Amino acid sequence: MLFDESTLRKLNQLTLVASQLRSGVLKGERRSTKRGSSIEFADYRNYIPGDDLRRLDWNVYARLDQPFIKLLEEEEDLAVHALIDASQSMQWGEAENDKWRYVLQLTAALGAIALAAGDHFTVGILKRGGGLSQYGPARGQAHLTRLLHFLEQQQPHGVTDLDQSAREYLLQPRRAGLAFLLSDLFDPNGFESALSRLQGRGYEVVILHVLSPDEIEPPLTGDLRLVDVESGQAQEVSLDGGLRALYRRRLQAWQKAIRTHCHKRGARYLPLVTSTPWDKVVLYGMRQAGIVR
Amino acid sequence: MTLLNPLLLLFGLLAVPILALYMLKLRRREVAVSSTLLWQQVLRDRQANAPWQRLRRNLLLFLQLTILAALVLALARPALRLPVVASGSVVVLLDASASMNATDVTPSRFEVGRAAARRLIEGLANGAQMTLIAVKAQPQILVAREDDRDELRRALAAAIPSEGAANWETALALAAAAAVGSETVTTVIISDGGLPSEGLPPIPGEIRYLPIGHSGENLAVSALALRPSGNTVELFVGVSNYGDSERLAVLSLYRNGALLTAQEMSVPAGKQAQLSLYDLPSDAAVFQARLSPAAGETADVFPLDDAAFAVYQPPRKGRALVVTANPNGNFFLEQILTVMPGITPFRSLSQPGDAPKLPAEPFDLYVFDGYLPAELPEGPLLIINPPPTLLFSTSGVFSDTGKVEIADDPLTAYVDWSNVHVLRARQVQPPPWAKVLIRAEGGALVFAGEDNRRRIAVVTFDLRDSDLPLHVTFPILFANLLDYLATGQTFEAPDGLQPGSGLTIRLPAEAQKVVITSPRGSVYILESGEGRLTFDQTDELGVYAMNYLGRDSSFADFFAVNLFGTGESEIAPRQSIRLGRATLTAAAPTEMGQCELWPWLAALALAVAMMEWWVYHNRQAGKVRLMDKMAGSVR
Repeated sequence: MLFDESTLRKLNQLTLVASQLRSGVLKGERRSTKRGSSIEFADYRNYIPGDDLRRLDWNVYARLDQPFIKLLEEEEDLAVHALIDASQSMQWGEAENDKWRYVLQLTAALGAIALAAGDHFTVGILKRGGGLSQYGPARGQAHLTRLLHFLEQQQPHGVTDLDQSAREYLLQPRRAGLAFLLSDLFDPNGFESALSRLQGRGYEVVILHVLSPDEIEPPLTGDLRLVDVESGQAQEVSLDGGLRALYRRRLQAWQKAIRTHCHKRGARYLPLVTSTPWDKVVLYGMRQAGIVR
Repeated sequence: MTLLNPLLLLFGLLAVPILALYMLKLRRREVAVSSTLLWQQVLRDRQANAPWQRLRRNLLLFLQLTILAALVLALARPALRLPVVASGSVVVLLDASASMNATDVTPSRFEVGRAAARRLIEGLANGAQMTLIAVKAQPQILVAREDDRDELRRALAAAIPSEGAANWETALALAAAAAVGSETVTTVIISDGGLPSEGLPPIPGEIRYLPIGHSGENLAVSALALRPSGNTVELFVGVSNYGDSERLAVLSLYRNGALLTAQEMSVPAGKQAQLSLYDLPSDAAVFQARLSPAAGETADVFPLDDAAFAVYQPPRKGRALVVTANPNGNFFLEQILTVMPGITPFRSLSQPGDAPKLPAEPFDLYVFDGYLPAELPEGPLLIINPPPTLLFSTSGVFSDTGKVEIADDPLTAYVDWSNVHVLRARQVQPPPWAKVLIRAEGGALVFAGEDNRRRIAVVTFDLRDSDLPLHVTFPILFANLLDYLATGQTFEAPDGLQPGSGLTIRLPAEAQKVVITSPRGSVYILESGEGRLTFDQTDELGVYAMNYLGRDSSFADFFAVNLFGTGESEIAPRQSIRLGRATLTAAAPTEMGQCELWPWLAALALAVAMMEWWVYHNRQAGKVRLMDKMAGSVR
């Protein structure tokens, strides 16, 4: 099991927050920017011939002797997409610090929240050249068990190509919505084009940048030949205190660059370390970042 | 700078295997990482300050190459050319006399002299030889014609200053001998100038003089003497000031370690102050005079002569055996022996008509009157009216005993023969070992000498054939002869000895060996069947104890060794000395010697090796710490 009952209960009380509401197909538990036939008042507008007279506010008409159409907020469901980077580099970290397991737990949590809120939830496993593996779209809590089962079936392999993976994901007609990109972003081509591609298709993107502690502070020293588990590429390096400090500075600069880019593009960025328990991230970190409420 | 072994620079090629080993050592450990993306960026960043980083990365290699360079350079023996006092082959005469113990220079004159000699060794040209001679009472060649600096340094380090005077004549003879066969030899005299002002032989080659010391201020116990006076003893002590200013000191006198008196004395510059003590007990005792600075005075820079010792030994009585041909004995002879101090006479008993018999026990003196045994006993002999013997040839008698000549000898002191008449005397041919003391016209009347270390005195006439016993000359002559033959002292050192001088010891008849203990506790055992011994291990100042051991008995005696009269107390350094006709003044470093740098390079190699070890160890420890830290953070 990815999480227990009490955590699930806590998750069920949360709702995912999209800063821009997206029009849904089904009535959901979410307000839409589309004005509609719901009972929640939103605004008035002048009557135009042909308007549904049922939506005319007769009380205003009686008082002002002018017809106004009452605009009501329409409550809709939200399309939530969890795009999981399934490259080999995600299978990294010891035991509970394993990035892959951590990402699956986060995805399951997001799924639980979305399904409980009546949102459309889709999981996309991004594998370069490995075809697309996806679950959903699903709606309703009944799908949670199947979702968890699906997630537990997945194994990462291959190299990262976020742009290519995003393109493949978007090939299928989908409802745009809130897209969570769960990745370590170790993509030589960068994540920027993938972000552009998603945003171009109307997705609101939240990047959950997951790293393990030994990627933050590598426990390495001496004359080494570092072998990339994804690409098999080797890099010779003589590691000492100075070089480790340089690595830390480089990592911070990288994360800052990602954050700046996301900010400019209206995407949200949340850097995560697998040593921080995932439930704390969801219950406190994401709430603080305004991703859930 | 020159290289003495430039070929050894080829060892520098060892850098090649070091570099090869280093490169082999750099076989990197393979480690899997999730991505090398960031590492590639990090390495690109590092290119900006690559030279320094590369240097840091190769610090161990750099240190190892530095060690190799230092060692190879050390092997090549680089040397700087420096001005020195002497170059080429050198003979060094290092003054090791007592005055070199003075501390007017730090730590002492001898150590400063040793340092000067060490500088000469360091400046010794490659292949040049050096001879080191320590000049003492018996000059000692520390090392001869040696070109190995280590050997020279070891020999120099082993040299110690003596407490006696220096025998410069012998030392210069040794130096001249060491110079034989060498074309150019420089003799360097390192001394405070206590050389005799004249009489020293010239030596070949260049001579340089390095004076040591700067102060002549010294207060010394310059005399300590004891004299019997009736039944008591008188003590005389002299304190001399060799400096240029009046000095105040406390003189303490001890008898057998107990303080007799202590007095403050003021001694004018260049003068002697004296003190006498009377009515001291006449039993054997060791006296000591010791100087200490008075309140407010600075300590003496030459403490060796601040103490002096003297030994009072009452005369010991010797046993004399009188054997006379006359059965009634010789009245005059026995009388004179009886009244002589220090002699206890015994008469040999024999039946009338029989030949006298000698007792088996030994005596300190044998007196034979008109008789000589076939086999002479051990010990000194006084022979009166000798019968024919193997000792010397006799031929009848002579009666022309006038025209007496008296030899100038201590044995004839105060002897007046003018009124003495001798009726007849035996015609004796004095042997080569004897000196004729009194000679008459017809032949020798009295002669004495030492044959095979046995003292023999001969009176060639019968006392009863002369009127000698009736004259005052009789006791004077016999006192002189008996003093010579049978002195109660086993050695003669009435006023003590100077350090390094020999002492002749007459073993008493009953003693078989003598054990001598020096002031610092060294023990010497002397054994001899000859009855005479020579002891010359008198280098230490102080009181020596002598224990005579016999079969059934033993007794002790003492003698003192002092600096009196050696000139060592005059410690004022001399800026010039005379050798032959030449006057030598302080030498300046005018010649070029070489100072080898290899010890410094070896030290540098050692220091860098230690640094390399530290860097390596630190890196290893850093790895372990990092692993622990990361393990902790992952947990």
